[in-house]
Amino acid sequence: MKLLQKTIRSYILYSVLVLLAGIPLFYFLVHSLVLKAVDNDLLATREILKPRISDALVRNNPAEIHFLDQNITLQFLSVRSNFTKIITEDVYDAGLQKKIPCRVLQSGFTVNGVPVMLQVSNPLPNRYKLISSIVLIELLLLALLLVGLLLINRQLSKTMWQPFYQTLQQLRGYNLEKSGALALPQSSIQEFNELNQSLQELVERNEKSFAAQKEFTENASHEMQSPLAVMQGKLELLMQTSPLTEEQANLIDELADASQRMARLNRSLVVLTKIDNNQYDHIESVSLNHILRRFLDEYHLQIAEKDLQVVPVLTTDNALRADKALIEMLVSNLLGNAIRHNYKGGSIHISTGAGWLEMRNTGAPEALPGDKIFQRFQKQSDDANSTGLGLEIVRKIAAIYQYNIRYDFINGEHRFSIRFNNQ
Amino acid sequence: MMKILIIEDEKELSKSIATYLGRENYQCDTAFTYKEGSALLAEKDFDCILLDLSLPGGDGIQLLQQLKDDQKTDGVIIISARDSIDDKINGLQLGADDYLPKPFHLSELSARIAAIIRRKQYQGNNALQFEEITVDLLAKTVKVNKNQVDLTKTEYQLLVYLLNNKNRVISKNAIAEAISGDGAALYDNFDFIYVHIKNLKKKLASAGAADYIKSIYGMGYKLTIT
Repeated sequence: MKLLQKTIRSYILYSVLVLLAGIPLFYFLVHSLVLKAVDNDLLATREILKPRISDALVRNNPAEIHFLDQNITLQFLSVRSNFTKIITEDVYDAGLQKKIPCRVLQSGFTVNGVPVMLQVSNPLPNRYKLISSIVLIELLLLALLLVGLLLINRQLSKTMWQPFYQTLQQLRGYNLEKSGALALPQSSIQEFNELNQSLQELVERNEKSFAAQKEFTENASHEMQSPLAVMQGKLELLMQTSPLTEEQANLIDELADASQRMARLNRSLVVLTKIDNNQYDHIESVSLNHILRRFLDEYHLQIAEKDLQVVPVLTTDNALRADKALIEMLVSNLLGNAIRHNYKGGSIHISTGAGWLEMRNTGAPEALPGDKIFQRFQKQSDDANSTGLGLEIVRKIAAIYQYNIRYDFINGEHRFSIRFNNQ
Repeated sequence: MMKILIIEDEKELSKSIATYLGRENYQCDTAFTYKEGSALLAEKDFDCILLDLSLPGGDGIQLLQQLKDDQKTDGVIIISARDSIDDKINGLQLGADDYLPKPFHLSELSARIAAIIRRKQYQGNNALQFEEITVDLLAKTVKVNKNQVDLTKTEYQLLVYLLNNKNRVISKNAIAEAISGDGAALYDNFDFIYVHIKNLKKKLASAGAADYIKSIYGMGYKLTIT
């Protein structure tokens, strides 16, 4: 649910509750106000009537006193009594031919020594009418509130939240590896500015640590080259020494293998660092099929050694706009893996089409963990010659040119497919 | 006696190269700093110069410039960290003859030096001679005495590599890399080298050559008379 929907939902709920609570409140308030007014009216009527009753008693026979108003009656009492009470009572209304709620004043007093009781009644507004008009007004208010809230909300999301959505957009497109500063919009709203500032700081910190990490890898792989060269050289000199026993020769041999592996690892790290530093920037038109054929030729001995059946179906060529060295690495790593992780007598199928390359090979009988294979040092085999960096290099190259690369395990074969989207 | 200048600040590496090359017909001078290198370049002529690019006191590229300014034609191999590919391009444009990234096999370095010296000095003579074996590097043909030996491309590469490192043990890793480059990592083991060596020896023997290629405890191979 969107934030705005969430807030407006709360607003609406609260408004409904307040207005519902307002119905009885209003009712009782209005009701008591009406009662008070009517009561005052009744008392005032009595005060007005008192002198008139007195006059009438002087001039007329008490029995002849009648009021034109049906709501006023006068009774003569036998005993003196002095009282005033106001009650609510349903009184039959001849005109309406039904009982209606009335406020009735009964007051006993003495006029010119004659004890009388005056009863004045005043119809009250209909209770249900009162309630229904209150409800109507409340509903009207509610509707006005809702429409207003919705309009305000929409306006807010259009204007006030705009910087927020811009920030979101920026963050979505942000890629640490590709760097490029985050251009967050200035806003008139303090919270958004604070958010943007914090994000900016976060990104800067990340960039710093990323750069430091990159620099470390760069320095480490650079500084490793000289001692590696020394070690390799000394080993070769050691091989020349005599006398040399078989035992010593074996030890030297194993050391040489280890140092060779280290050299390969170092080479891959250097390549990764160079990719990270955008040092492969010589963009030209590269024929994919040409490179595929070249590496098939280059690796033909290795392919023959394993009795691999290679089936290239290179129909449509792709002229890629890229650094040739990177496309060569992409192809050599994929093809190299297809050879390395194959079994004797296995097969490799390579096909290209407009905008895609597919390479599938026999090998391990189960699927590789698709989410892990493109990460560095996630070796899926115990092959000592595998550096664990090949697919990381492939992934990085694909990322640079926004190629889409995926791995599938289909019919017992490992398949890597690349789509060259933007070509 | 071929004269080699090693301009390399990593003393142990410099020493190893000098020792390895010293076993053949090479005489090595060493310079550890830019200044020493520059002085030696001005003072003497060399057949081949091994140049590291990151030197204390200056950039090796400038030594190339110095050679060029002095109109010297010494062969130059840049031996440098792999991550300076831009320097490689610069270096080759400025007149370096080859580029060998660290770490490298000394046997590979030796083969490259041999190739450059042949190119620089024996113009027209592109033959490699070892006892009764003659290799024509231009025509890429091999003869034992007068008998033509029909070798595959890999066997030919192997023989040239062994001849360029004669009397020295060459490790299997170095051989694998020499004949397969980066693709060497794709082999499960070094059996293929054994097969190629066996075939090469067989072919040379049937052409009438003595058995010069020795296996050293499975660690490597050596081409030698004894």
